[in-house]
Amino acid sequence: MKKIIPLCLVALFSGNALAADNNTTTLNVYTYDSFVSDWGPGPKIKAAFEKTCACTLNFIAEEDGVSILNRLKIEGSKAKADVILGLDHALIREAKKTGLIATHQQDLTNLKPSLKWSDDSFVPYDFGYFAFIYDSTKIATPVTSLKELVNSDASIIYQDPRTSTVGQGLMFWINAVYPNDTSAAWKSLASHTVTVTKGWYEGYSMFLKGGSDYVLSYTTSPAYHLIAESESKYKAAAFSEGHIAQVEVAAALNTSKQPKLAQDFLQFLISDQAQQILPVTNWMLPVIKNVKLDAAFATLIAPSAIDMDIEQLSIERKNMIKNWRSSAVK
Amino acid sequence: MLEINQLNIQLGNHSLNYHRQIATSAIVTLQGISGVGKSSLLLCIAGFIKAQSGSILWHGKDISQMEVEQRPVAMLFQENNLFEHISVLQNVRLGLVNTSDEDILQSAKQLQIAEQLHKMPAQLSGGQRQRVGILRTLLRPEPLILLDEPFAELDNLTREITADWVAQIALSRNKTLILVTHQQEDVEKLATQNWLL
Amino acid sequence: MFCILLICTITLLAFYGLIAFNGQGADLSLLKDSYFHSILIFSIKQALLSTLISTVLAWPIARALYYYPNLIFKRAFLSLALLCFVLPTLVLITGFVSLLGRSGYVTPLLGPDWNLYGLHGILLAHVYMNLPFAIRAFHSQLQNIPQSSWLLASQLKLSYWQKICLVEWPVLRANFSLTFGFIFILCFNSFAVVLALGGGPQSTTFEVAIYQALKYDFNIGEALTLAWSQLFIAGAFFLLLYRSNSVSWLSKDTHGNYQLPTNSRWQKISYSLLYTTTFIFMLTPLLALLPGVIAADYSRAIIGNIIEALSLTLVLGIVCASTALAMAYAILLPIRRNLLQGKTTRALLLQWLANHSLIAPAMVLSVGLYILFLPIIDLDTLGMIFVVILNIMLVLPFAIQQIRARLLQYDNDYAVLAQSLKLSTRQKLQIEWHYSKQVFFSTFALVIMLAMGDVAIFSIFGSDQLKTLPWLIYQYASSYKINEASLASAVLLLLYATLLFNLERAKQHA
Repeated sequence: MKKIIPLCLVALFSGNALAADNNTTTLNVYTYDSFVSDWGPGPKIKAAFEKTCACTLNFIAEEDGVSILNRLKIEGSKAKADVILGLDHALIREAKKTGLIATHQQDLTNLKPSLKWSDDSFVPYDFGYFAFIYDSTKIATPVTSLKELVNSDASIIYQDPRTSTVGQGLMFWINAVYPNDTSAAWKSLASHTVTVTKGWYEGYSMFLKGGSDYVLSYTTSPAYHLIAESESKYKAAAFSEGHIAQVEVAAALNTSKQPKLAQDFLQFLISDQAQQILPVTNWMLPVIKNVKLDAAFATLIAPSAIDMDIEQLSIERKNMIKNWRSSAVK
Repeated sequence: MLEINQLNIQLGNHSLNYHRQIATSAIVTLQGISGVGKSSLLLCIAGFIKAQSGSILWHGKDISQMEVEQRPVAMLFQENNLFEHISVLQNVRLGLVNTSDEDILQSAKQLQIAEQLHKMPAQLSGGQRQRVGILRTLLRPEPLILLDEPFAELDNLTREITADWVAQIALSRNKTLILVTHQQEDVEKLATQNWLL
Repeated sequence: MFCILLICTITLLAFYGLIAFNGQGADLSLLKDSYFHSILIFSIKQALLSTLISTVLAWPIARALYYYPNLIFKRAFLSLALLCFVLPTLVLITGFVSLLGRSGYVTPLLGPDWNLYGLHGILLAHVYMNLPFAIRAFHSQLQNIPQSSWLLASQLKLSYWQKICLVEWPVLRANFSLTFGFIFILCFNSFAVVLALGGGPQSTTFEVAIYQALKYDFNIGEALTLAWSQLFIAGAFFLLLYRSNSVSWLSKDTHGNYQLPTNSRWQKISYSLLYTTTFIFMLTPLLALLPGVIAADYSRAIIGNIIEALSLTLVLGIVCASTALAMAYAILLPIRRNLLQGKTTRALLLQWLANHSLIAPAMVLSVGLYILFLPIIDLDTLGMIFVVILNIMLVLPFAIQQIRARLLQYDNDYAVLAQSLKLSTRQKLQIEWHYSKQVFFSTFALVIMLAMGDVAIFSIFGSDQLKTLPWLIYQYASSYKINEASLASAVLLLLYATLLFNLERAKQHA
């Protein structure tokens, strides 16, 4: 009994794998789980790309962006993927250390200038600004700056910077706005923090159930409620200091046996077609100019970005976490 | 013949010594005050207690190092002879693989417990439980039978009937019997030898 | 013996995977860090408090159940108790927040100073999961009081306190320390609850720290130090408990009605009050799911997803639970043999080894195996095998804990008799099965639900083509589909309830 069942499972899965191999060429892409879910961008991106390439696009899903990087570190040159998709820009430095990342060979002139993109390996495919979301039926005059929020007594929920890239975003944000008195800012914030959650969804669902006045999320979150639920009461608070951006990136691996196809996919990601799919499936903003978007996106706040030196941030990250750990204590 | 040679059993601080021969087909009654080591001797012959020294020979072969399962011994304990979660009949059958249900029923009738066979052990009286145990132990194939106070909970009349049945089976099946008892009647009625400890 | 070796090998492989990859082993400088000390103190503090509250409160409730066997909905109560214990934490946390969070239904009754988050939030959730577990354990232990003890007690006209000390406590004692230890270790290793309800970095347990070190920093040295510390502390605690736990003397099953001592009117009222309060406490977080279920989107795609995930979850659960039960039985064989032969130290060692996966951090096990096998085996297609293996490993201690007492009791009562009757192996198995099948049924229920609720292992080894129901809940919840997550949670709960109901019925007929 013990042996039969795994064998059956093997048969079941190898069946799946074979089906994929029958086609002429397969492009393997490591990505994160919610990207390939039925309502995520995965299925639509796959269908659209396969029309142009006479190949099979095979997504291999990890739990999240960090897991993709960890997998690369473990597998080294044995990595199965041709392309990795779904790291955020704070992980670029670590990813390059693996020595597996190929240069991108893409023409990036069509990217939004505000991104100031200069990396020669990673291609951005969408981005978003971190923002605090509130319910406008409960809060008539929202805070207008991070400092105002920190000094207020409004209840907030955010994510643990050790386990969530959203929480990490707030950490960068606080450090950018309070370069000298970060500890005091964390302390002040902690006094009216409801809780710090492991991931984005725990915090966000608590907020939707009325758990707090503000929750840390993205400026694009209200667009989801508008388009999917026709619900307009959720709004993002625009902060005068500017917002921290999170840029999601993709890159080809230099171990890929089909570098041409891998580059084609990167090119597809920044095509108008893919850029129209991503905002309404991944709920992030397009990276190229002049993409036609659902009207809901026009109602979102258009924040100014805080400039970040990613190299520097990834070096200081450890100390920032230590500081948070000791200061954000109640 | 059962030979018990210089057998020494250690029970806590007590040291018990036995040396005796018992002829095949004998019925030996074992008497003595409480705590003198009657049960210990039976448990040692059956293999549940290890002896410090000495040997137990059955027809010249040393059985004292054998596993319980290999010894030519069937034993009735003072108590705990029945599985409480299965019926009396199932309990009897467990010990008797090659005995037909008719044989069981016939013996049960003689012991006046035929009506009890389909009940659960908990529904039986102490005396009834003892007779179920006796029935099973005596009908087992092993030639050496050890009974630890088998009649303790029986009234005088059933005691007589049961003792008769035991004697009859022992004789007809050529069993060698050792039984612990406190009653002089049992000695007079059954014993070919009486062993005072 | 083989099974014990097998699970130990798996754990060793996992640690080997980590050590070999990082090439230098644990980073011991962490032991001097104040961060480490605060984790240590907090882990122990919250676990001790949670365990104390759970076990101390469980005692009177178990007595209420025992003294009033005819309480209404008593069987539903006991099933619900099991449900609370195995409830996926995501479901539990959502329930708690909608009840006791800032805009919770109950919050207005609690006064202006109420705050769910922090130590008391953690305690509340831990008590919610473990109090019912302790109630069940104590209740079944109390039922082992022999009828003769009560007769004797009334004959000797024992006072109320004498009855507790002389009749109840001796029966409870053995299992009390074991249940205490079990709950302590569960809380000590707690993860999701601590992160969600902890309210900030002041609430960090070892498991949280390991997760962070392994997953986000990929700092294997630090993770190993934390893992060894956790293994050492929880392991020592466990060993201590097993040592102090003398093999319990229990009565043989006696059929027939219990003649229980009668209690005063005042006691009767307070017991029913206690019973009702506990019932409401267990039920309300589940009812809090309902508004989401009603608001969910009932499209064909979502129903299809749920049904598909449901069937995979069931298959996975059945495979894991039946294998774990069979392995638990096999593992207990050498332990029982050693106990019968009086080799208690060896039995103790074997028990520790058999239960080690309860103490070993789940995160370390799965990541270690992942690192070791990823370059060798195609985990993208064969990952499900690891999901099965690791889930079996993790539920195995629960299976052992549940059936152990019953089998030891069997040995205590009948091992000698079975030996003297020279039964064949088949006969022995039959009669043992007959004796313990009720326990096997309820253990199966517990273990299958634990295996079906897994998210942590699935997140590492699972595939994106085949999803389990808890994973689907997680996916819904992480893509704004909160109501659909409620719906999927409700379906999972319904599945649990159906399983429980049927297994309880099977148990009654067994």
